Amino acid sequence: MSERKTRFQRLTDFLSDRLPLHKLSFENMVTKKEVPVHGMSWAYYMGGLTLLFFLIQLVTGVFLLFYYQPTVSDAHASVEYITFFVNSGFLIRNLHTWSSSCMIFCLLVHVLTAFAMKGFARPREITWWSGSLLLILTFSFGFTGYLLPWHQIAVNATKVVLQSIEEVGRYLPGGFANLPTYIKELIQGEASVGQATLSRFYALHVVILPLIFFATLGLHLLSVQLHGISQGIDNPSKKTERFFPFFILKDFWLWGLAFLVVFILALCLPFESFYSYPLFEAFDSLGSTPDGIKPEWYFYFVYYPLEILPFWIVMLGMTFAGAGLFLTPSIFKHTSRKVLSIIASVAAAYLIIITFFGQAIYEAFKGVSG
Amino acid sequence: MSDQFLFIALPYVALISLVIGSILRFRINAFSYSSLSTQFLEDRWLAWASMPWHIGIIVILTGHLLAFSFPGVWTTLAAEPVFLITVEVVGALCAFLCLFGVLILLVRRFVDAKLQAVTNHLEIVVLLILLIQISSGLAVALLHRWGSSWAPGALGPYLHSILMLRPDAAYLSDMPPFVKMHIATAWVLLMLLPFTRLVHAMSLPFHYFFRAPQKVVWNSSRSEARFEQRLEKDTERRLFIKASVGLGASAVLLSLGTLDKFFKYFLKQDLSNEQEAHLLSEKLHRLKQSAQEREYELERMSKDDIFVAKLSDLSKTKGKYFIDYQMRPALAFRDENGLPILLSAKCTHLGCTVGQDLDEQGRVLCPCHISYFDIKTGSPSAGSPAKDPLPHIGWALQNEQGKTLLAQDAEGRREGSIEPGQLESSLLFIVKRFSGEAA
Repeated sequence: MSERKTRFQRLTDFLSDRLPLHKLSFENMVTKKEVPVHGMSWAYYMGGLTLLFFLIQLVTGVFLLFYYQPTVSDAHASVEYITFFVNSGFLIRNLHTWSSSCMIFCLLVHVLTAFAMKGFARPREITWWSGSLLLILTFSFGFTGYLLPWHQIAVNATKVVLQSIEEVGRYLPGGFANLPTYIKELIQGEASVGQATLSRFYALHVVILPLIFFATLGLHLLSVQLHGISQGIDNPSKKTERFFPFFILKDFWLWGLAFLVVFILALCLPFESFYSYPLFEAFDSLGSTPDGIKPEWYFYFVYYPLEILPFWIVMLGMTFAGAGLFLTPSIFKHTSRKVLSIIASVAAAYLIIITFFGQAIYEAFKGVSG
Repeated sequence: MSDQFLFIALPYVALISLVIGSILRFRINAFSYSSLSTQFLEDRWLAWASMPWHIGIIVILTGHLLAFSFPGVWTTLAAEPVFLITVEVVGALCAFLCLFGVLILLVRRFVDAKLQAVTNHLEIVVLLILLIQISSGLAVALLHRWGSSWAPGALGPYLHSILMLRPDAAYLSDMPPFVKMHIATAWVLLMLLPFTRLVHAMSLPFHYFFRAPQKVVWNSSRSEARFEQRLEKDTERRLFIKASVGLGASAVLLSLGTLDKFFKYFLKQDLSNEQEAHLLSEKLHRLKQSAQEREYELERMSKDDIFVAKLSDLSKTKGKYFIDYQMRPALAFRDENGLPILLSAKCTHLGCTVGQDLDEQGRVLCPCHISYFDIKTGSPSAGSPAKDPLPHIGWALQNEQGKTLLAQDAEGRREGSIEPGQLESSLLFIVKRFSGEAA
């Protein structure tokens, strides 16, 4: 008690507590690993499922690289070529789009359940932080990938998002007011969304984001392996299941099933069938913006609030949500899992309602105000 | 001659032996129908042998039965390459499972002392015949391509002829030796069936589904504990085998199905001449579009004025899109007084391009977030998400000789004058001089 630890000592203590590398053994990872059995056990599969969809993204993404051309004059034509002329090209492309949506869905369930099961509690902070970063990276993948086909909806939606970055400047004090504009131009690369933007998004989507993703994923998985599987409920259950071979067999079984489902979906149903066709014509810089410009469904949770509420409220909300995500391990340190489950359920309910009924809510609001 | 014996005499001997033998055995010793189990004597080898064997043989027999029963359906399906490949692969996988199982069954009969005590010659003979049967079947599948399509074509009619008592071995006369061997051995197996443990195939334990659960009670708790332990281990082993077989088979099938498609993705693409031409013209069209955009850009950098339209070509209700000096989209209308109205078409909310059609109140619409703009003032209507007006753009009217008659800057200041008679023939330009004034 009398001796105060130096800052450096505290840092090393923190790290050795969070990354107990001495636990890294075959026994801990395979023969002795146990998975708790209780009502929420199904949630232990969600991370693995997300990983499966990421692997599908990786493989199909590399496949698409063989034919895709990232220039404003050729991008759309090359995507059309892949879709209509390359053998199984439609399949690869559909797999890529379907599996991206599946990945984000599983990821959201994974985050919410991990939160409800207090998977972030000490010593698992690093798992949570790296996971949060993976969440943001995944959304960035979605955003950058959306532009690449260079059709009307892609380019115009990207324009809208980039322009709204500039809007933030209105609410910043004097010296910072121009900062968002610089950021926008840094991302956009030229006065309007054009070749420079496409090249930047391509580089981000294909090289930079994947590299960051791999590193973060490595840390995430390492941390998961070191700490084992979290107990998940407040009163730890006595029943466990051996990870090897039982849990992993079921995990693979689920992977096979999930792959089969996505594969059949990709074979039978083009992802684009959810939008009206003119949106998928090549972007025309001289024409008007077509109706129905919308982001992908997984951005509805921020898109519809932006449509309905004043801009600054949404921005404030997003800032708090983002900060809350990373500060979760300290904010909810002493919260019981029961309360956490309620918070997660509310968040899930919000996501479900805004994703399914966002359009209806938006129309109701517009009907009242106009 | 040997064909006559193997495929006409032997079948009838086998069928008679099968029918009479089964009935006799059922009448004399009905309880032996479910066969003596050796699981109590030896269970480690058995799990590895019996499970693969039964999984494999059930699938294979079902396949054979389907092909004999519905030859027409089967032939149609087998014409589909995907189905044929799937059947061949599943069949081959199951045959290997059977082979593996039978080999272990044979081995355990020779290495386990307890088993040797209860093993008679017929058990060994049956196992050997099964081994031959599987090997010949596998040989047919592997050596003769598309063996699965012979069954409905030749075997079906042959079996039919046997059952209709009009035996005709001619259907089989041109078959390769492995096929003949496979068929002959099948008859031998049917002939021996009533006299061996194979008879249990005829006693499907359906009543297990309906009867009440039974609990085995042991006379000492120690032996009960020992039994429970053994049972748990055996269940675990069987679960593992089942899961591995299932996962392995589905992994093979899945990868076969997907790799078949993925591999083609990298082949040279087969396009018809028209398709190639269509693609090329599309590409050229878009290249021209990009080239034109560059030209516009260069034009705006180097020229002091840029032609928009003949004034008489402009409409009062449908705007004409053009590109302003900042390379942003803009719209040109004609006012009631005959003069042009030029304004930016880049929505002041989030930058979409506004539509070109004027509504009854003289407004254009931005479709992204529903903002209406009055084209005379440029200002958005109340309630629009856009708050700032669309800026107007300065213009100049020139006659055909290139002389500027009337010009107006972005704020609406005019210089020069134009006779009403000159309006129809005048040409509309945007001019660099005013370009800096657009916000």
